[in-house]
Amino acid sequence: MAVEVLDGPPSTVPLLARAALTARGRHGGEVPERTLRVEDVVVDRHRLAAYQRLTGYDVSDTLPQAYPWVLAFPVQTALMARPDFPVALPGMVHLENRVTTHRRLDAAEPLTLDVTAGALRPHRRGRTLDVRLEARVAGELVWECDSVYLGRGRGSEDAPRGDAPPALPGGPAVAVWRLPDDLGREYASVSGDVNPIHLHPLSARAMGFPRHIAHGMWTYARTLAALGRGSLGPSTSRVWFTKPVFLPSTVELVVQRSGTGVLAGLRSRKDPSTTHVVVTLDA
Amino acid sequence: MTTTRRAAVLGGNRIPFARQFGPYAEASNQDMLTAALEGLVARHGLAGERLGEVVAGAVIKHSRDFNLTREAVLGSSLAPDTPAYDIQQACGTGLEATILVANKIALGQADSAIAGGVDSASDAPIVVPEKLRQKLLRLNRAKTPADRAKAAISLRPTDLGIQVPAATEPRTGMSMGEHMAITAARWRITREAQDELALASHQKLAAAYERGFFDDLLTPYLGLTRDQNLRPDSTLEKLGSLRTAFGSGPDATMTAANSTPLSDGASAVLLGSEEWAAAHGLKPLAFFVDGETAAVDYLGGEEGLLMAPAYAVPRMLARQGLTLQDFDLYEIHEAFAATVLSTMAAWEDEEFCHDRLGLDAPLGSIDRAKLNVTGSSLAAGHPFAATGGRIVATLAKLLHERGSGARGLISICAAGGQGVVAILEAA
Repeated sequence: MAVEVLDGPPSTVPLLARAALTARGRHGGEVPERTLRVEDVVVDRHRLAAYQRLTGYDVSDTLPQAYPWVLAFPVQTALMARPDFPVALPGMVHLENRVTTHRRLDAAEPLTLDVTAGALRPHRRGRTLDVRLEARVAGELVWECDSVYLGRGRGSEDAPRGDAPPALPGGPAVAVWRLPDDLGREYASVSGDVNPIHLHPLSARAMGFPRHIAHGMWTYARTLAALGRGSLGPSTSRVWFTKPVFLPSTVELVVQRSGTGVLAGLRSRKDPSTTHVVVTLDA
Repeated sequence: MTTTRRAAVLGGNRIPFARQFGPYAEASNQDMLTAALEGLVARHGLAGERLGEVVAGAVIKHSRDFNLTREAVLGSSLAPDTPAYDIQQACGTGLEATILVANKIALGQADSAIAGGVDSASDAPIVVPEKLRQKLLRLNRAKTPADRAKAAISLRPTDLGIQVPAATEPRTGMSMGEHMAITAARWRITREAQDELALASHQKLAAAYERGFFDDLLTPYLGLTRDQNLRPDSTLEKLGSLRTAFGSGPDATMTAANSTPLSDGASAVLLGSEEWAAAHGLKPLAFFVDGETAAVDYLGGEEGLLMAPAYAVPRMLARQGLTLQDFDLYEIHEAFAATVLSTMAAWEDEEFCHDRLGLDAPLGSIDRAKLNVTGSSLAAGHPFAATGGRIVATLAKLLHERGSGARGLISICAAGGQGVVAILEAA
């Protein structure tokens, strides 16, 4: 596969604008074989501290498990904004994520980040797209992430379903979180993910949502932070974003531990039968 | 409960100390204390371990941090069923925490414990003026719309403003430096003597880093691997060229360099019984022998604000049957260079020892070659509550290097005219 090395992490906002302007014309069933790479990305400690504060981590030198995703976000956006990319970026929905951390990641270590888009698959609400992220320190693979996105469109009812997430345990909540109206704007400012569906009721409505929703990657990171230090070292976590969390709202964290594994998730406070996020962690 | 047993210092850990608004500007007390604890846990293999208790505190504390130490424990890899509580005795906090847990271990009430402290001069709570606070509370209490309107109307633009905490004594309105300047003048401590002590502190701390002394006492944090305040290549000329910061006129001798800077940092010390240590494969560095606290009446100007350790030490020596010279090492906290020099001058002074301490003879002088041998707060910085843990861990390791039976004295002055002192003995 062709590896294209970028000069540095590209600036996200112009890419998102370009992706928005070219959204309509995108078609085709093939994802170009291409890996975009940025080398030796240096972690900005102020941004990291703001991220750690917003997602419930201590301010420390260890990168939260979902943080390299944030570092790779501009590269991923650049890949999807390319003219030959078949799926429109605006309105794309993050469905799933699987992250493996091979060793503790220290903020002092520059990371080389690879972004590769994988296959398109039919889905009952459009097509799904696999994206693979890899992070290396001096050639050593230290972190990898496989994401599944949904490009909404004409779906096929008979499309094969992916792994269903495990059912959330019932019982009392272990924590109650009140997610404020400006959470999407706050997370956008620390992560660079300024997708309009997260920012404001009006901008979300323009994208076909009744109002703005929390970033899935915030709910994922906040849940991992609540599970303790397990995901800071070698570990694998998975997340399924099952139902959007409209802002503002109140969600409940539920947790079930078994051996080294943890099953956790967020459910609606108002309607506990609504599961927003399911997370598993093996450390 | 009829017998006591020895409490051992098994290890210590701190994060490098940073200057105010330095690399830790965005870190909270809880972040820093968790980092110091986590490093201690990692180095001693305590992950998942339930300890007897963890005791720490901070001098400058947000009201939301009412359970600061417990929250740090929950954020660490220690077993979540490890209890914790906060204490606060100004700059004596860390050493007082050590005394408390050592006593519990000695009495058999705990087998293991961590004592520590943390302070941030950067992430400080901001307080609204008292008048505004009263009005806002009234507004909050108001039940009827009329009461609310009345309370709201009383708010004035001139009520606005913020107060940032400072190292000022509430009852005198004077800063600690101003208090110290009076004591320094009383003991005729010269500018040169203070600058020499400050320079020695930097040189000794730098040498300790060079020989790797802190390799197992420190966990890097937010990119810092050494104390930010450390200036290894400072000179007497440079120090002598600085303007004075406290006191006035020709008597002013105290500068920013021979006073400690406002700092951010955290420290933690692991203590345990000998049985617990053996069961966990840990070797005692030193035993906790004794501790004493004292306070002085500084309000009438009878005694200096930071002179309480001068009273605490002779009381502890008498109880132990020791003289001031019976120590291999002395750790006298350098709140200001003048604090160390005034304390030593008082112990050498016949009149002070007779009139104030009630002794027949002066305590005498101490061998300066044994004083703060790896530097102290002037070089390392002084995050108030974190200093005690830094000193206990440093001294325990130094005594261990010197071999069994070596004895060390710790003396720490604190705001409010208080002092905390202790004796450690090499294991």
